[in-house]
Parts: sequence; structure tokens; C-alpha cells
Amino acid sequence: MTTTLEMPPRPAETTSTATPTTAHRQTLGRAIHSEWIKIRSLRSTWIGMATVVLVMIGLGSLSAAVSTGSVAAPGDGGGPLGGGGPLSTVLAGADFAVLLIGVLGSLAGAREYSSRMISATVAAVPRRWQVVAAKAIVLAAVVIPTALIGVMGAFGAGMGILSASDAATVALTDDGVLRSVLGMAGYVTAIALLGLGLGILLRSTAGSIGAVVGGIMVLPTVAGALLPDSWDTVLRFLPSSAASSFTTVMSAGDSTLSAGAGVAVLAAWVAAALGAAAFAITRRDV
Amino acid sequence: MIELQQLTKKYGDKVAVDGISATVRPGVVTGFLGPNGAGKSTTMRMIVGLDRPTSGTALVNGRPYAASRAPLAEVGALLDAKAADGGRTARNHLLALGATVGIGKRRVDEVLASVGLTEVAHKSAGSFSLGMGQRLGIAAALLADPEVLILDEPVNGLDLDGIQWIRALLTELADEGRTVLLSSHLMSEMQLVADHLLVIGQGRILADTSIEGFIEESSGGSRVVVASPDAGALARLLTGDGVVLTTREPGRFEVRDLTAAEIGDVAAEHGLRIHELTPVTASLESAYLELTRDRVEFTATAQHPARTDRTARTARPATDDTTKAA
Repeated sequence: MTTTLEMPPRPAETTSTATPTTAHRQTLGRAIHSEWIKIRSLRSTWIGMATVVLVMIGLGSLSAAVSTGSVAAPGDGGGPLGGGGPLSTVLAGADFAVLLIGVLGSLAGAREYSSRMISATVAAVPRRWQVVAAKAIVLAAVVIPTALIGVMGAFGAGMGILSASDAATVALTDDGVLRSVLGMAGYVTAIALLGLGLGILLRSTAGSIGAVVGGIMVLPTVAGALLPDSWDTVLRFLPSSAASSFTTVMSAGDSTLSAGAGVAVLAAWVAAALGAAAFAITRRDV
Repeated sequence: MIELQQLTKKYGDKVAVDGISATVRPGVVTGFLGPNGAGKSTTMRMIVGLDRPTSGTALVNGRPYAASRAPLAEVGALLDAKAADGGRTARNHLLALGATVGIGKRRVDEVLASVGLTEVAHKSAGSFSLGMGQRLGIAAALLADPEVLILDEPVNGLDLDGIQWIRALLTELADEGRTVLLSSHLMSEMQLVADHLLVIGQGRILADTSIEGFIEESSGGSRVVVASPDAGALARLLTGDGVVLTTREPGRFEVRDLTAAEIGDVAAEHGLRIHELTPVTASLESAYLELTRDRVEFTATAQHPARTDRTARTARPATDDTTKAA
């Protein structure tokens, strides 16, 4: 951030203050800096992120401990990546963490509308797409490390508990494991950004939380149960179903998308939400 | 310099701002006056691009606000003192805003000191009283040392110290050659601080004039309140060319366009008794009420556009309350 190019200072004009104030050109970089100050100066950011990490590691460890109590034998017959395999056991907290991060993302987007801070924000950054871009970049910068710490922590702790009880374990170097673990971190990040976009788009904390939670948790289940099988092709393109193609531990219905296609579909959802947010914030009155 | 050109804002069928054109000049404090819902805030919001005009343009220093290189250094605006996140400290709030134009800690601390918030700089904005929130909003407006200041009701919630401080501040800023536009519903406050007036009613500019000119013009000249037991006789004697009498209560009336001396002379000449003879200096408040009331009446009787203002005033029942003017 300190390497941002400085514009030459304005010639010192009359000022009402002791020291001359030199304002610089408003750039995307400065908008990002501003959003960084905003996000780090809210205690709720850090409480939220800590909770996400704790949920992932805590629920993962709990799940591992429970499974070693019930499924004691190591066994060499069953594939480790099966439905109840060690990986999905240690990432048991991911479902809840995704939900939580969706809420935090929605808050990051809608919060300024409920506090009315948004007027000050868009007055300071009138090229408003920059507000959306800066918020997305800053949120991703906070969520990515959080998600990585969460999944890696859950993996390490969970596998430690499993191996201490001589239960089946997998290593990161095993086929597809690292991809699933990193994919889960990516999914967490994507849902945070989806929430952010919806929060800005809907300008309502409650509305955007409802939309994210509904879209991730409720819609796939309800639609899968109520719609005829012919709709399954469409349902694969829901965010949670797309994510299950590369996280493999999600249980949001049958996914037949390839991992690459799943990533692309999820990225498209994020891009659509942020794009719609940028379009809306630019077009409408604050 | 702020230039409004045919600026219009419609919400559906409702016209909030109706094609207003005006120039707000640097070097003076311009007061923006109008009843609730007249379009003051909407106009101010359009100047800084918060609301999008239905048609027309608002230019700041010759270009749209959104085209500004360093927006906060172009216009400092206080439009909504509550526009701060309650969970963030005052200092962090200003740091975040300042960062958009590369303004850092030193200036933020300086501005906090100048608005008197240094001691609560690390308290969350949510814990602030109305007056402290207002000071924070003013700090945000001053942060990047802007050439144009737009303040919507800045004295709202300020204590006496704060009001005197902002009065001096606005005058100082204008003296430095800045453009200062402020709205206030406190007419007396406006009279103290503003040099120029923009009066708006129902989305249209009703007056764009100096404050003295406005009072002179809108109040229809000087007035004298007369109390006399011989009111009837005196009134008959006084009624003449362009002289307007308004009866306020039995034995008491108001005269326009005659001085107290002239009225006293007439009374003495005819041996009529006078118990009270008070020249009334019109206040901005009464001038303003006069103007906006005419505006309301005019729209209510728009099917009779031929009537003149002066005759309409004579015919009006005596509900005037100008005597409270100092």
C-alpha cells in the first residue's frame, strides 16, 4: 500500500489550518486503502473471522473425535474418500462456516446502508464501481487467509485426532485431497463475495442474509426434493452444487459438473453478484 | 463556485426540484432557505452526486462532481451527520474517508482538534450525541481542505459554543475565498451568518439575492405598529397613495410605507391620541414567511393570476405575526 504512486502535491493555496493539506488524486488504490481501514477498524470483522476459524477447527475436531469413538477400526477395505471418509469428517465444520461467511459477507455489503455511511463513502468515491471493487478486494484479502487457516487447521487437528486413535487418515499429498482442502477455502471466499454483492444490491442486511442462506442451504434441498428429476441438470449450477464438484465434501445434491466447470460456475455467480452490485450502485440514488 | 443549470429531480410524478438555475459564488456565505420538502436537501445531494438529476446539471468548479480528481478536496459536504458507522471510532472514520485522497493521521488529528473531538477520537461514533455527531460530520467536510463547502443544517444539535464556533468558521472560510452553501431552518442564524440567499419553495428558486435586499423586497418596505383609541379616524386619514393598513386588533393597526414620524405628525395635526408608535424592522424570518406564504397562496389561486400582490396583502385577514420580530 505504501508503494502507491504519489501525485505531485497541489500548489499550496490558502488554508484555514496551520499546516497545508495536500490532497491527492482519488484512485482505485486509495479506495482500497480506505476500505481496508474500514474493515480492520470494525471489531465485528475480527470476531467474525475468528468465529469462522473456530467453527471449522472446532467442529472438525469434534467430528473426528466422535468418529473415532464410533468407527474405531482402521480398516483397509473402504476408500478413504467415501461419503463418511476422513476428509469430510475433519471438514465437518465447513458447511456451517460457509453459512457464517455468507452472513458476514452480506453484512460487509449492507452494513453501510443501515448505518447510512454509504453517503459519505460514495461522496468520497463518486466513481462508485470502485467502491464495490475495493470492498471485494479487501474482503477477499481478509477471508482468504481466514479460510486457509480454518481448513488447514481443521485438517491438521482432525487428522491428528484420527491418527491418535489409529483411525484411517489421508495426507495432503494424497490424490485430490489438497484440491478439496483448498477448494473449500475457495468456496468460503466465493460465498463471502456473493454475500457482499447481494448486500450492496439489496441494501438490506436481513434481505441479503436471507438470500445467501436461502440460496445455499434451503434452495438446493427444497428444489431437489420438489422439482422433477429433469431439473437436476439445472440444479447442478447452483453455487453449492457447483462447489461440491471441487470440494467433494459438500452434500448438496448430486453434482456431475467437473471440478473445472464447478470453479467456473461458482466464479460466474460471484462475478454476476458483484457486477450487478456495481451496476446498481452506479445507477441508483444513494 | 457551484452552478446549477435547469436542475430537475422527479420522483415518479412528484417534482422535488423543478428546473432550478443558480450560481453559488465563492467568497461569500450563501444561505439556502426553504420550507421542509422544498427541495433543499435534494439539490445539495445532486451537487455531490448522491442523487442523480432527472435532467439538468450541477457543476462544481466548472465540472460535474464525479469528474473531480480529488472529490473530497473539491467539495466538503455535511449532508447527513449520522452518516458514520456506529461501530467505528471517530478517528478511524476520518482516516478511512481521508485515505480516498491520500490524507493521513496528521491532518485527521488536526481536524479532530479543530472541531473539539480530540478527547473522544477513540470512542465509537455510535456513542456520540447529536452535537458530537454533527462535529464529526463537520470534521469530515473540512478534512481535505475543500474549496467548496456544502452544509445541510450544520448547527442542528450544536450547543451555544458550537454554534458560535461554526458561525466564525463559516465566515472565515468564505473570507478565504471558498464557496460556502449552507441550509438552515433557523432564520435568525441565517441572518447572522449568510451574505447571500437562495430561497427555494416547491422546487423552484423564489429569490436569489443579498440578505438585505431580500428582507427589503419581501417585507414590502418598512412597517409601523400604531395603537390609538382613535384608530378609526387615524386610519382614514392615513389611507392614501400606496399606503397599506392592516388591522391587528381593535385600536391597533400596522402601516406600511410611512415612517413613525409621518404618522405622529398626522395624528398631532388632527388632535388624535396615540398610545403606541413602533417602527418594526422586518426580520429575515418574517420576510421569508411572507415570501413562502405568497407562494402557497399563489398556487392555491392559480386560476386568478391577474391579481397583484399588494392588493392581495391588503385583503388578507390580519393574522400577521411580525410583531415578534426584533
